[in-house]
Amino acid sequence: MNDRPALDRLTCVLCPVGCELEIRKDEAGELDVQGNQCDKGVPFAVEEILHPKRNLATSVPVRGTAATMVSVRLSGPVPREMIFPILAEIARLRPESPVRRGQVLIADVLGTGVDVIATRTVES
Amino acid sequence: MEANETHDVVVIGGGPAGLAAALGARRAGAGKVLLVERDRTLGGILNQCVHDGFGLFLYNETISGPEYAERLIEDVVREPIKVETGTMVLDLGPDRVLRINSRAGYRLVRAGAVVLAMGCRERTREMIEIPGTRPAGVFTAGSAQNLVNLQNLRIGNAAVVLGSGDIGLIMARRLTFEGVAVKGVFEIMPWASGLERNVRQCLLDFGIPLELRSTVVEIRGRDRVESVVVAKVDDALGPVAGTESVIPCDTLLLSVGLIPENELSKRAGVALSPFTGGAVVDQTLMTSVPGIFSCGNVLHIHDVADWASYEGFAAGESAARYAAGEKAAGGTVRVSAGPNVKYVLPQVLTAGSAGVEWSFRTMRPLRNVQVVVKGKTTGKVYARKKFGRLLPSELQKIKVRPAVEEDLEVSCHE
Repeated sequence: MNDRPALDRLTCVLCPVGCELEIRKDEAGELDVQGNQCDKGVPFAVEEILHPKRNLATSVPVRGTAATMVSVRLSGPVPREMIFPILAEIARLRPESPVRRGQVLIADVLGTGVDVIATRTVES
Repeated sequence: MEANETHDVVVIGGGPAGLAAALGARRAGAGKVLLVERDRTLGGILNQCVHDGFGLFLYNETISGPEYAERLIEDVVREPIKVETGTMVLDLGPDRVLRINSRAGYRLVRAGAVVLAMGCRERTREMIEIPGTRPAGVFTAGSAQNLVNLQNLRIGNAAVVLGSGDIGLIMARRLTFEGVAVKGVFEIMPWASGLERNVRQCLLDFGIPLELRSTVVEIRGRDRVESVVVAKVDDALGPVAGTESVIPCDTLLLSVGLIPENELSKRAGVALSPFTGGAVVDQTLMTSVPGIFSCGNVLHIHDVADWASYEGFAAGESAARYAAGEKAAGGTVRVSAGPNVKYVLPQVLTAGSAGVEWSFRTMRPLRNVQVVVKGKTTGKVYARKKFGRLLPSELQKIKVRPAVEEDLEVSCHE
């Protein structure tokens, strides 16, 4: 039994069972996950501790409209530390109308391999 | 009363529940369907929910609110559904005659069946009676979301959030993105009222403190909020003297609960539940008034839009069948919430009905729970389900397979 203090406690979000996971370091310094009821819990917890990934959403004004905003998000999650650098890129965006839902507004943003996409349609 | 026009099904409200209800009515064969929306566009509150997490159940992927809305709207406009935006239902009678005001003027509409899908409102400062001055800078979380996401306004520089509802958590992150310093989220209960993933992704990720068992006891400032006073609360939720601290800020967001918007339902004589704030319904989602159905946040508050839509589809289908002359089910068996259960839906069932899926919510967080559905007369167990953990923030489901012949009680046991 590993009685070192837990580094983190989190609820697995991969299915509705919602196992409560506790992550500790073992004697060898490796991450030790407890509380998972299936095999998927371990990689989930390790990624969440070592390389958490997130999506992000915001909205930007559309040129050629009366102050209409288009909401945007990323096509997939990015490492959490990329959130603010990507927000700074998005803040410079002023897309021209019309904008289509799913339209790529910035491809491969900051080399992350994911795109900034529009999440609603704004007609001209 | 002479009506100007008639429809098989009239749906009031064009958000995630109402859009689905209009589609559900068509699927079940309703010929003439009218969808009435007060706002200028369809989609309801989805339009300002730019974050992702929608559609996991309905579309099997995680998308944002506006995308979820557009997909449902595209399905609606493909159907011969009459959509009226910028149109308000002023009154609804038990005879299912609606008084409608639109840009074209005032008219009476007779409906074969009505689906209520008006959604909910946020609780305000006045409703929770926060003492202090009355400066600018106090917003409900949802109105702040509208101002930031749809109107591109900066609402302040330093914010405190009272209440840990999902919109409050999401706005704490959203304001952080916009460069607003979020000083903390204060929750009167010993647990967060929003979903756990939002606590993690909206607060923990950005080092925003979540203070449980604490509340705002005073708002200070003359023209604009200058600070708020927070304090710990005791078990009776009263502030504990001597624990006050002053937090300088210019903005206070309130995320302190949602209330189903049932003004029209009351006008029609629909019986409401004191536990949900919404209508009492049977397994077809019909209210106490024959031919009037309810779904989505006007029925009870959902944590996931997808469930509001599923309820909408079901209510729309039931409404179409009623309008086509199918006999109303009607509730004769009563379902009550037992120990640890805040409420159960539906609250009434037709005797003999089987295979009904119920929604329920717990009073408090529970671990290693057995949910039991029991007959009140015979003590017979109709359904049983185990959960590792249940949170009040998460709406849960349980299916009752056998035919039900007696009043039932749902309880949770640790």
